[in-house]
Amino acid sequence: MARATRTPYLLIAPALIAMLGFLVYPMASVVYYSLQHYNVTKPWDNGFAGLDNFRTLLFEDPLFWQSLGFSVKWVAVEVTLQLLFGLALALIVNETFVGRALSRALVFSPWAVSGVLTTGIWVLLYNPTTGVSRYLADLGLMEYGAAPLADPDTVFSAAVVAELWRGVPFFAILLLADLQSAAKELYEAASVDGASRVRRFFHITLPHLKDAIILSTLLRCVWEFNNVDLLYTLTGGGPAHATTTLPLYVASKAAQAHDFGYGSALTTAAFLILTFFSIAYLRLSKFGAKA
Amino acid sequence: MRPLLALATAALLGLGLTACGSGSSPSAAGGETTITFWDDNGGPARTPVWQHIIGEFQKANPKIKVKYVGIPIAQAQQKYDTAIAGGGLPDVGGVSTAMLANLVAQKALEPLDDRIAKSALNGKINRQVLTTVKATVPDGKTYMMPMSTNMGVFWYRTDWFKEAGIAAPKTWSEFFTAIEKLTDKSKNRYGFTIRGGAGSIAQMMEVLYGQSGITEIFDPAGKATINDPRNVAALEKLAGLYKKVTPEADVTNDYVKMVAQFDGGNIAIMQHNLGSYNDHAKTLGEDKVAAMAVPRSDSGTQSILSNPVSGIGVFAAGERKDAAFKFAEFAASKAMNSHWAEKTGVLPANTEVDGERWIKDAQHVAEASRVLNDPATKVVQMPYYLPEFNAITKTEMEPLFQKVLLGQMPAKTFLDQFSAKLTEAQAKYRQRNG
Repeated sequence: MARATRTPYLLIAPALIAMLGFLVYPMASVVYYSLQHYNVTKPWDNGFAGLDNFRTLLFEDPLFWQSLGFSVKWVAVEVTLQLLFGLALALIVNETFVGRALSRALVFSPWAVSGVLTTGIWVLLYNPTTGVSRYLADLGLMEYGAAPLADPDTVFSAAVVAELWRGVPFFAILLLADLQSAAKELYEAASVDGASRVRRFFHITLPHLKDAIILSTLLRCVWEFNNVDLLYTLTGGGPAHATTTLPLYVASKAAQAHDFGYGSALTTAAFLILTFFSIAYLRLSKFGAKA
Repeated sequence: MRPLLALATAALLGLGLTACGSGSSPSAAGGETTITFWDDNGGPARTPVWQHIIGEFQKANPKIKVKYVGIPIAQAQQKYDTAIAGGGLPDVGGVSTAMLANLVAQKALEPLDDRIAKSALNGKINRQVLTTVKATVPDGKTYMMPMSTNMGVFWYRTDWFKEAGIAAPKTWSEFFTAIEKLTDKSKNRYGFTIRGGAGSIAQMMEVLYGQSGITEIFDPAGKATINDPRNVAALEKLAGLYKKVTPEADVTNDYVKMVAQFDGGNIAIMQHNLGSYNDHAKTLGEDKVAAMAVPRSDSGTQSILSNPVSGIGVFAAGERKDAAFKFAEFAASKAMNSHWAEKTGVLPANTEVDGERWIKDAQHVAEASRVLNDPATKVVQMPYYLPEFNAITKTEMEPLFQKVLLGQMPAKTFLDQFSAKLTEAQAKYRQRNG
């Protein structure tokens, strides 16, 4: 009897140990360091900080608020545009037409390209020496030297386009998969009743996709909020902090300035913001509720 | 269920044992010692040079094997910091004075004074280089075997200058005239390129102190001179060049982008140091590129910035320090140091190499030697000893310098902030070290 009671615990023990080691410990470690002054280049100043780091980020660090504001803007614009374009593409490649298989492959292909390679491609495309603007200038269509990543007025749009190229297929794949399970009879019945294409979309397709949209947008919001690879390689957060997201700011404080205490406080703040956002989003969107 | 449990337990234990085994693998077996060497500037240009040195070392010391690990220069400091915090430091590794204060503050490196005093290299290392290495740390000890030093130079297109009928500028006035003359935007040609991205601050400071002729970073009271009105005027002049005689992309220029523009044939003059010679020679051809020293101020002063000294550090946590030092000593010996300096285009630290033929034949090295050996040259010593220096220049000042270039911040405001940070760091340093 005792053995029968122990067995389930033993069976889940490896998973539990892995979660403790790879999830709980790192998170607890970050929270611990957020309460410390910990800078490897200044060991003489290290020690317990209490809430000093949080006080600094809330009241004395305009860059925290600036990078948080930029992160929110980045997530809102990216996720909205990716969802709209992804939904449009999913609807198109869900139809029956000649060359559908090839179209689907082309639509999904950017998702198969690694993040670093994607940014490498876009860095070259935007580079005034090697990129598109150079060739357009050679043809006399524009002036030499246009550098969208160097101009604060264009850098945001340029980065958004690069990330869209990578992010749209994610929504297209997920939404197409869900579209495949939509009941054909509903569409047939609606057609018989004279419902237009638009009406069918809003009354059948969209309600059917609701949970997939909520889950994919939530995932994408978290991923875009934590996006480091594309912006770090493309702009480095610049020029002049114009594209610095909160994770990029964490990277510059912790990895470059070696201030791991303050970097941990920023990370803890980001974690709390994302947790609060995720709970609120799932509650407000009534995820999983029957339509 | 029981066999399954037994299998899972055995697998977990097996994994644990395997992990333990690989962590403590012997590196001194059968009388043979293996040391790990981290190259802090690994890449196609330098890795083959180190592989040659390692090959020669292993021939001369058959019982010592060297495991080479190349680390891109941009990640070197971070890799060392991570290894110091989490373990896994090498026995020996490439270091520079730019990172020395940080590594010594973390007690990562072994002082080498006693070992150097007993070695064949005693008295053969350039005295100025040794002084710079010792001045970087508070206790004045030698924490690295110096390999080479560097000097900021301005690379220029000899064919463009010839075509325009002008000589390489010697003063800042001549420099500004030349870059204006060599700019032709309709042909995608620019007179100059500003490094506005990663690594911008040292190059900016070189232009400022070069123009102003100021020779100290701190005045006797410990106040930073970077916001001296002459430096403010110099920065206004530099920022005024942006987009006028330089490409728009300069505001985010790091080393790679800057070299791509120069070697891509769009730039007349590029500011960097001796280390980029091989890239230019390979792409443009040796006959189309040459180095000139930092121009003299209009008052006649030749001010140059001290450049980091590169070398090899022996790590304190290593268990094979004798073998590690032997490797460092071998790399700094005449033949190897000569090979290293010639192939990487820098100034050797071993004074025995000074008489080598290639030094006289290489235009850029000869130009650098001429300036460094000129008694009238003033070397502005960069405060690499301040532990905050990298954080101030890289994470705090680089984005603000971009604001100055973009016209979003006045030069004076930027330099006042820069000065306040340096002055505060210097005061703390003095307080700690007397």
